[in-house]
Amino acid sequence: MAVTDKKKTPDLIGESAPRVDVLEKVTGEALYTDDLQFGNALLHGRIKRSPHPHALIKKIDTSKAEALPGVKVVVTGQDFPGMVGLYLKDRHIFARERVRFVGEPVAGVAATTEEIAEKALDLIEVEYELLEPVFDPEFGASPEAPLIHPDLGDYQVPNFIFPKPGTNIANHFKIRKGDVEAAWEQCAAVVESKFHIPQIQHVPIEPHVAVAQADSDGQITLWASSQSPFAQRNIIADVLGISQSKIRVIAPYVGGGFGCKAGVTMEALPVALALKAKGRPVKVLLTREEEFYTNFVRQGLVIKLKIGCDKDGNLLAMENTMYWDGGASTEYGVNITRAGGYSSTGPYDVPNVKTDSLCIYTNHPIGGAYRGFGMPELHTALEQTMDMLCDEIGMDKVEFRKLNCVRGGDILATGMKMHPVGLSECIEKVAEAIEWDKEEKPSAPNKKRGKGIALMWKAPAMPPNPGSSALVEFNEDGTIMVGVGGQEIGQGTFTVMAQMAAATLGIPYEWVKVKGPLDTQYSPYEWQTVASRLTWSMGNAVVAAAADARKQVLDLVSDAWDEDPDDLDIVNGVVVSYKSEQEMPLKDIVIYGIPNENFEGWKGGPIIGRGNFMPTYVTGLDSETGQGERAVVHFTTGAQAFDIEIDMDTGKIEVLKAAAAFDVGKAINPELVLSQLEGGLVQGMSSAIFEKIDLKEGVMQNPSFVDYRIATTADIPLEFEGIIVEEPQDDGPWGARGVGEHPMVPSAAAIGNAIYNAVGVRLEGPPFSAERIYLAMLDAGIVE
Amino acid sequence: MALHRISLTLNGELEQVDVPSNWTLLQMLRQTLAVTGTKNGCSSGECGACTVLLNGEPVNSCMVLAVECDGAEVVTVEGLADDGRLAPVQQAIMEAGGVQCGFCTPGVLISAHALLERNPSPTEGEIKDALVGNLCRCTGYFRIIEAVKAAAAIKV
Amino acid sequence: MSIDAHPALPEFDYLKPKTLEEASQFLAEHPGEARPLLGGTDTFVRMRDGLWKDKYLVDVKGLEGMSAISFKLKEGLTIGAAVSMNRVAADANVRKHYPLLVEAIETVASYQLRTRATIVGNICNASPAGDTIGACLLYDGVLNVHGMDGLRREPLASFFQGPGATVLNPGDIVTSIEFPIPPKGTVGKYIKFGRNNRGDLAIVGVTVAGHPDKDKASGYRIRLALASVAPTPLVVDEVENTLSQESITDERLTQAAQAAMEAAKPIDDTRGSARYRKMMARNLSQRALQAVWEQLGK
Repeated sequence: MAVTDKKKTPDLIGESAPRVDVLEKVTGEALYTDDLQFGNALLHGRIKRSPHPHALIKKIDTSKAEALPGVKVVVTGQDFPGMVGLYLKDRHIFARERVRFVGEPVAGVAATTEEIAEKALDLIEVEYELLEPVFDPEFGASPEAPLIHPDLGDYQVPNFIFPKPGTNIANHFKIRKGDVEAAWEQCAAVVESKFHIPQIQHVPIEPHVAVAQADSDGQITLWASSQSPFAQRNIIADVLGISQSKIRVIAPYVGGGFGCKAGVTMEALPVALALKAKGRPVKVLLTREEEFYTNFVRQGLVIKLKIGCDKDGNLLAMENTMYWDGGASTEYGVNITRAGGYSSTGPYDVPNVKTDSLCIYTNHPIGGAYRGFGMPELHTALEQTMDMLCDEIGMDKVEFRKLNCVRGGDILATGMKMHPVGLSECIEKVAEAIEWDKEEKPSAPNKKRGKGIALMWKAPAMPPNPGSSALVEFNEDGTIMVGVGGQEIGQGTFTVMAQMAAATLGIPYEWVKVKGPLDTQYSPYEWQTVASRLTWSMGNAVVAAAADARKQVLDLVSDAWDEDPDDLDIVNGVVVSYKSEQEMPLKDIVIYGIPNENFEGWKGGPIIGRGNFMPTYVTGLDSETGQGERAVVHFTTGAQAFDIEIDMDTGKIEVLKAAAAFDVGKAINPELVLSQLEGGLVQGMSSAIFEKIDLKEGVMQNPSFVDYRIATTADIPLEFEGIIVEEPQDDGPWGARGVGEHPMVPSAAAIGNAIYNAVGVRLEGPPFSAERIYLAMLDAGIVE
Repeated sequence: MALHRISLTLNGELEQVDVPSNWTLLQMLRQTLAVTGTKNGCSSGECGACTVLLNGEPVNSCMVLAVECDGAEVVTVEGLADDGRLAPVQQAIMEAGGVQCGFCTPGVLISAHALLERNPSPTEGEIKDALVGNLCRCTGYFRIIEAVKAAAAIKV
Repeated sequence: MSIDAHPALPEFDYLKPKTLEEASQFLAEHPGEARPLLGGTDTFVRMRDGLWKDKYLVDVKGLEGMSAISFKLKEGLTIGAAVSMNRVAADANVRKHYPLLVEAIETVASYQLRTRATIVGNICNASPAGDTIGACLLYDGVLNVHGMDGLRREPLASFFQGPGATVLNPGDIVTSIEFPIPPKGTVGKYIKFGRNNRGDLAIVGVTVAGHPDKDKASGYRIRLALASVAPTPLVVDEVENTLSQESITDERLTQAAQAAMEAAKPIDDTRGSARYRKMMARNLSQRALQAVWEQLGK
């Protein structure tokens, strides 16, 4: 049979290959960090936390805690002078001299049982001198506000973040494009708005947990529920002043990340304890209460918008001022501010733009990376304001968006030229899915019905040079192990990488094992599992590594067969020549090499494929105008539409149907893409309707599931339609770009727009709870 | 604080354990018995990640004292498969794509399995009601609900 | 639940006395540091928060009469204190004769929690938000209590004294709750407003029960109880008055709903504002009264 008659390796790119990680998850065998067994040597860490939002630490007396039997380690900020931070290094492992939020670690205890450690906390005596706190970011930015970080000018910061020493402004990102003042004159309609977006929390079902152990030669091992083993290694090495080679981070499965397990959050705490624990491992496991407010939350935002268009509805000008409530530390939040800044127009073509995006210190919980990285907060305000403008100019909200949405070739607010995107198609498809043009009757006399749409865009928010790398190692039987540094947090990355490796190399999908748990000792470097970047960036690295392995195999075989490598291929794990029709299975090549004729010597040896990817084209942006050649790598765009009913007696929202369409470039695994569309929309809907960190004087009033409600099975849309649009990305594997965060971004805005459509009220920010909707209707005279 | 010696059947096997008064069933499972499939999400009976069967009925194991389980039968996610053969809910949830990070999955499987035992042909509303105490942050629940419907069809 | 919550339960001793006498004795001898244990679903949360600091939990679930449900057609229903909410809701006699109780139970928390939670436990904790308490009040529940002076009966109507406060003394153990046979033609409705569609606490709860009553000028006796709008579960007598004196019309129902709103004295908290709760007391009372009125065949 001719070789060309043979079936090619079934290429699963674009197919919904079964997930590689789910069998162990349904049997209970999958190991998460708190499942790891450390035996009786394990010590348990508990953290003494500040009860005050802003205070000086006058005195800490740990002597009584140290004397408690079973207590092995007590540490305070005095023991650790170094500073932690992914972008801006502005905090210590334990507070030194000053506490800046309720919950800030002040001391740590490691003891033989968690109970003893907890008891020891009460024996630590801390004397505070209260300072005036800041709870509002607008006030925090003003000269009247007390300084939360007087030493801001001394903090290490990368060159794309612009703090203002002597203020609470940790970053001020600006865009000055065109001339907005002149443009207002040309506008036929102008609207202004102000929205408050409250803090919310990620609510991973698995709380944060980390175990650390330090040897007497200073070698540290950290097991953590982590999206970012390499970043954690780097930041912790930095804060301790040691080489990255002295720290090993092992990251088993993560029970939900959503950004809260990126960077270093609480992982340095057990490391600090372990350094004094004489070689015993120390575990710190957060309670759910601690999870809600002591770690990362999503920043709050106060946003003012002014948007204008001409008589035909073309957007002419936008002024966007954002005061981000960054919390006590903005080490991560400064970049959210920046991302909010360069994305500040939303996915629209706006010729004149003035943006000021300020990241402001407050005495609130720490704002960190949260799915969407500033985009949900921005779009919740922006997309509702666009609806207001449509009403002002008298234009249909879908037509307006089709007219103004960003297209390939447009020059963006930063001066970057937009690549091709399928946003128009997304808009059309979601409008069609909820029958936008159809006037619908409510299902009962006491209900009102409404529809709303919102668009979004987001670029991976990263430093300009975030790298991915990958290894492809063969086993004797021709199967492969793919080494990566990017984490399986539920999004399915191990599965997608396996699909890509198999397709590139020419082997069956079942022959691929992606190596986990991640281990910085053995896994190749990956910047972080954030920014929806793995499919694109790590995918490129995996493809490069598999291609490298393939090339080595074909070069070796072509040498052995004295043929041209271009005539060879790997099909279903077998090297074939289209010319001579010879075949050789990989198992006869990849470890042992190929014998010469008559076994007179050998060629080759164990083959390892390697690859990396790092974008090389991102440029800086001018600090005054925000202009630059290439602000970001690319944007993923999309749209959502909601068809809802409001119960006029209670204000409660019921989502009848929700539709989501996103341009992913290429869906490597369509079911996994749709799964992100579903999960993200429900998380977005949950944040829109239920969620708020209820802060009073800096204290969270609702740090439990009893009063921080999230969506349950009973709250989801009655119907959901997910739509995949594919406008390829030039440097994505098979044209793919990421979609992990994006499905959460437009939901609150779309629901806000639907509420307005139904009952004519617009709240100044989420949560769009039944109570707030009802009272707004009452105050507006819509109900009595 | 006293230790109590208790006996229980765990996934079909007899166990004898000494537990302090104040330990929950969840702590006994995860720590003493090192059966870690059942997860701790909140210690408050709200998230459902700790759901197990106690004498055939789903409970939040963080809300039951270990000492209250003397003489009881406990089934965890590890006990759902029969000699390596996955239970219908396990098979169905994999096929439906109802597992992402997997942390809520053991609790979901127990609740779903118990539902089908007491109500072999549940409506969508009954499925949602039965799972309202199992929080999931990843999937949006759609595929979990489809999985239970599919599992019901297999059983029937 | 609060920012002071500990990771695990505090130390305490678990006791499982063999008789009611033994249990009452121990509880009476350790006032303020011993507590009866039923389902534990409230107890463990409060202990982990550090609110309840009992040194002893006295498991009374296995004691005489606590685990039985019995029904006699002429006498009524007795539910043992330890019977789980799920078991109550599944009982054929309860479903047939006390459907309002079943309706209320099915709104509580989650199936898993209802495997442990008990009606009596809810009542003893006297939370004004208790979903099932309204039905128990309107079905004229009576508690059987075993104390240091032996057995006695406490009508539910006079049982609650304030949030978390009841007429019980140290040593008292509620062994069961009894309901007489409801008057012929009794129908009811429980409407709960929670933040989620299912499973939340009651931010406002309205229980209504009604039956034909020829001794009333209107021909009907209709009663209404509110949850989460007062320091205790609240039976609104004014509703009963409004709907007993004259023929029931839509206007009368609206008046009754208004009376419910006026009787409500809710507080502002993180779950809801007083203003909203008052409005919901009115709106949901309107719905529940309407629903019961329709069920009564009008």
